[in-house]
Amino acid sequence: MRQSNVGWLFLAPASLILFVVGFVPFLYILYVGFFDWNTNAVDPGLRWAGLQNYRSLVFDPTFLNSLTRTLVFAFIVVVSELLLGYVLARALMADRLPGRQFFRTIHTLPIVVAPIAVGATWRLLCVPGLGILPHYMKLWFGIDYNISTNAYHAFGTAILMDIWHWTPFVTLSLMAGLTALPKEPLEQAQIDGGNKLQIFWYVIVPMLKPVLLTTVFIRLMDALRSVDEIWMLTKGGPAEATRFIGLHIWINVFPKTDYGYGAAMSLLTLYVTIVLSWLLFVAMTGRKGGAQ
Amino acid sequence: MNSFVKAAGAGFIALGLLNSTALAQDSWWKTAAQPLQGATIRGISESTPASKYVEQVLGPKFTAETGIKVEFEATSWDQMYDKAIKDMEANTGIYDFVYIEQDIVYTYLARNFLVDITKSLADNPKIASPDFKPDNFTTFLNYFKDPKSGDVMGVPMEAFIKPYLYRKDLFDDPAIQKAYKDATGADLKPATTHEEYTQIAKFFTEYGKDKELWGSTVQAASSHPASFYEFFESIAPTFGVYNWGIDGTTFAASVANGGQMNSDAAKKALNYWVGLLQYAPPESTSSTWDEVAGSFAAGRAAQGLVYGENAAWIATDANKSTVVGKVGVALPPVEPGVMEAAEAGKGYIGYYDGGAFGIPHSSKNKDAALLFLQYIGQPSVQTDWALAGSRIVMNSTYDDPKIVEQDKAMNGYYSLMREDGKLFAGAPPYPFHAQVLQVAAPFIYKAIVGEIKPDEALDQAAAAAEAELQKLGYRK
Repeated sequence: MRQSNVGWLFLAPASLILFVVGFVPFLYILYVGFFDWNTNAVDPGLRWAGLQNYRSLVFDPTFLNSLTRTLVFAFIVVVSELLLGYVLARALMADRLPGRQFFRTIHTLPIVVAPIAVGATWRLLCVPGLGILPHYMKLWFGIDYNISTNAYHAFGTAILMDIWHWTPFVTLSLMAGLTALPKEPLEQAQIDGGNKLQIFWYVIVPMLKPVLLTTVFIRLMDALRSVDEIWMLTKGGPAEATRFIGLHIWINVFPKTDYGYGAAMSLLTLYVTIVLSWLLFVAMTGRKGGAQ
Repeated sequence: MNSFVKAAGAGFIALGLLNSTALAQDSWWKTAAQPLQGATIRGISESTPASKYVEQVLGPKFTAETGIKVEFEATSWDQMYDKAIKDMEANTGIYDFVYIEQDIVYTYLARNFLVDITKSLADNPKIASPDFKPDNFTTFLNYFKDPKSGDVMGVPMEAFIKPYLYRKDLFDDPAIQKAYKDATGADLKPATTHEEYTQIAKFFTEYGKDKELWGSTVQAASSHPASFYEFFESIAPTFGVYNWGIDGTTFAASVANGGQMNSDAAKKALNYWVGLLQYAPPESTSSTWDEVAGSFAAGRAAQGLVYGENAAWIATDANKSTVVGKVGVALPPVEPGVMEAAEAGKGYIGYYDGGAFGIPHSSKNKDAALLFLQYIGQPSVQTDWALAGSRIVMNSTYDDPKIVEQDKAMNGYYSLMREDGKLFAGAPPYPFHAQVLQVAAPFIYKAIVGEIKPDEALDQAAAAAEAELQKLGYRK
């Protein structure tokens, strides 16, 4: 009993900070979401709107398109990074790879670059008429690559940029997970005559599940709230082709000062993120939560 | 001998008087700043040639004279607004002076963000500099006065028109003139109508195929407000569509309700402007005001509408520009009748841009900031500032010999601004500036990338603007 009290005492400062910086703003946003509040309106104060903001969101094509676009983006980048990350992890663990340590160091460099700098660098690479990518796409493939007019080019580039930036994180996580796997089950599976695919699917994946789950959760949540990289690369364009939900919320809350509607958007997005994470958890573990 | 002594004595007395006067003048700032010694003021501005001069020259000079430290942040346009507005909204007091662009001043006034400079100086005459006189400024100052009291709320730091720049060397080249005549049957001269402008753009795009030269710049960033601004503030007025096509009384945007945003004239304007993209460098769809200036300075366009803040360095700075000595300046091309309307004071032909520094109510060093704003509002600092940033905010600056000299190198940009500045206008006095911009701009972006036709874009923009104005309570 005494030990338990001491534990709570140690946890108290962190819990208090989390409550103040996490839960209090959440309650505030929940509150603001029930009001029509724009400081540039004729009446700049809070006006009770009930559930009107949420009702409007359900019929707002810009919001819904933005949310759909974000989900597609998140799905593609998370799956790609997972697959590529696994391949790279295995490659970087292979004893036969010459200069393994050097590549391990090099390949982690993108993680340490700030997202805003990553976005700026990719933008410089892609400026139509001047960037190196449009130049070589035209020279080698005859493609008029233009992220400021072609929605597919912009969306594809946003995906590539995210994969370039975050695959090393997945690689590192999976390398840690793979290194920690016990050798006995793998050897046993080989003795039993399992081929490489069977060993991967029936032995490695189940044992790697906790690491996979954590990595996917982190990457999914990050992908759903991409703002700064995209802002630097395309500013959400061309038109609204890369206006992901984080950027859309930012535009509504800050330049447009539509605080009530922006708060409702944030909450709905949070809800979608939680539901997605829960579905993923159930799908990957076969449990419905709450299990030990 | 006697007369020599008398003359020498008189000379010494005169010299002494002169010295004491000079000392007294030099020490005014120091005396006024005495109670504020050790203070630090922080300011934020968009990074422009004029604001960089404040950061690199005027700030340090003020510190040397007064002992008040100036920390100045020159950042991007988006960041500047984001940070300044958040600071003023939250009342945090991080910034002691902020850049107020002409088009945002009405929002700032409506939200009571700014300190009344006239009143503050009247209340505290000890820090009211004898060298700071609002009457010295051009009429651009009027944009920064409280419409109710007439008090000054911001000290102008830059002002410029958005003129039509063209490559004088190309336009004056006899071989090119002949080729143009052969191709079009017309003489090659700066365009005065949109048809002429398009014809010239088309010609130079053909001519420049292998020379990395295109017919026109277009500020058509497909996801940045710069394109909205170029269309509504520089192009639409030349077709007779003013104030973004929004009626200033009823706040109607659509023709059906009495607005002009989707009028035939507006649609003709947007079709013309989007049509110019085929004659523009490929970077145009990602070009804001800075990139347009960069494209012109790199010699990639034969003509274009370029913000005047860039006119000086494009025309004179060989370190940054490849077209030094090759730049001509003229008024933008217009539709028939628009120039006459502007001359009669019933319209305008382009954007008179600029900004001022104001003091937020949230500032914790208002007196020190007031001193600094007066310091940069002295006539004595204006000339060198104008040379560095092609900005003029005082009438006397135009007549300075250094400016007259630079005006020649710029082919008369300052003369154009002085004589025809009255034909240009700032943004309309809307406190809902950012809100309408955010809802209407995406339709302009869609027209740029060809997602929808220009006519549809303006119909949808007008509907969205009216819906937003209704939501904000301006439109009943």
